Amino acid sequence: MMDAGIERRPLANVRIAGIACAVPGPSVPVLGPDAGAELQKVTSSTGVSSRHVALPDVCTSDLCQAAAERLCVELSWDMSTIDLLVFVSQTPDAVLPSTACILHGKLGLSAGCAAFDVNLGCSGYVYGLQLVASLINSGQARRALLLVGDTISKVTSPVDRSVALLFGDAGSATCVEFTDQPTAMTFVLGTDGSGAPHLQIPAGGFRQPRSNETAAVVSAEGGNARSAENLFMNGPEIFNFTLARVPALIAAVIAQAKWVVADVDAFVFHQANKFMLDHIVKRMKLPKEAVLMELAEVGNTSSASIPLAIVTGLRERITREPMRLVLAGFGVGFSWAGLAWSSDRPVVLPLIQT
Amino acid sequence: MTRAEFIRILEDLIELNPGTLSGSTRLADIQNWDSLAVIGFIAAADEHLAASVPAQRIYQCETIDQLLDLLKDKLQ
Repeated sequence: MMDAGIERRPLANVRIAGIACAVPGPSVPVLGPDAGAELQKVTSSTGVSSRHVALPDVCTSDLCQAAAERLCVELSWDMSTIDLLVFVSQTPDAVLPSTACILHGKLGLSAGCAAFDVNLGCSGYVYGLQLVASLINSGQARRALLLVGDTISKVTSPVDRSVALLFGDAGSATCVEFTDQPTAMTFVLGTDGSGAPHLQIPAGGFRQPRSNETAAVVSAEGGNARSAENLFMNGPEIFNFTLARVPALIAAVIAQAKWVVADVDAFVFHQANKFMLDHIVKRMKLPKEAVLMELAEVGNTSSASIPLAIVTGLRERITREPMRLVLAGFGVGFSWAGLAWSSDRPVVLPLIQT
Repeated sequence: MTRAEFIRILEDLIELNPGTLSGSTRLADIQNWDSLAVIGFIAAADEHLAASVPAQRIYQCETIDQLLDLLKDKLQ
């Protein structure tokens, strides 16, 4: 059963002013023209036909930086007025320093600006929003830059079809600020650490440092092969986790916001894969037309998938009219987070291609 | 739902003609029994029987009968 944890007080006086996303280069097909029926079955289940792949010299931070620079210009945010930078990613520039510090320098932010990293994936965008909104709500910041993204293509084995055909790269920037208006953001957060082994890169940290051994590609289940430095994903276990947690998460978010399903204009879920999202829709009897499905040309972009779905699937509407949205991120950790957000016509830039 | 009805759902799931599978069919002999089929089995158990099945226990099964035994509380 879902343990909903404490009911967190809705965060007032916080406004999401703008969202932008950047992807590296053109969208590249996941399959070659001569792919067999078995691989085509995989892509019809995942719903991913192409995605953007970062070149070796392009990092997540570069994509986030491009998105942040354009968005701040569009919003007329002077960089000197930003007092908080949070970078959420599992693909940082380096082990240290924090990529947020590197970005602080590149963006030319002020010396009074706090900057730090948060290591989360699929749930990371909503966690990041909760963090910056809390700090703004409590007077610790007035203008925050939330930079969230991943370049998972760098850590997938090309001969592991459980991941190689699914993930794409993207970075996002979200500008969040204090407002006098009575806004309310309602968050539900959770974690099940027993799921950690089911989605992980085992080597490359300090428990299992890189070595010749960890770099060796070895055969794995189902004819796949990967090294201990590659991403491992146990699809069936993650599907089970999703069934156990996500419907309850979405229901809790809606209930705590004192909404009902029919109040929600759009559901923006982590774009894990089409099969999983279809199943959640069916299981929760959600109105299909209100649930964003935006992974055909970008794939699963990990922590960037929620802002990216807003950019590619909701831009026209969300910039034109106030909306009630439910955001939900879930996955690696296992970790999950949901948000009920009454949006007030934020600036949303068209997708940026670097 | 009966065991026979759930077998029919499994046949549909792994794109086999009705009547192809029986309780004694070995999973290793089914060409389409892969990780996508395991996820499909979990989804079908959730959708039709509101049952939750740990993936690890599915991987331990060798026959269709053993798979259905994981759902025996929910199947007639």
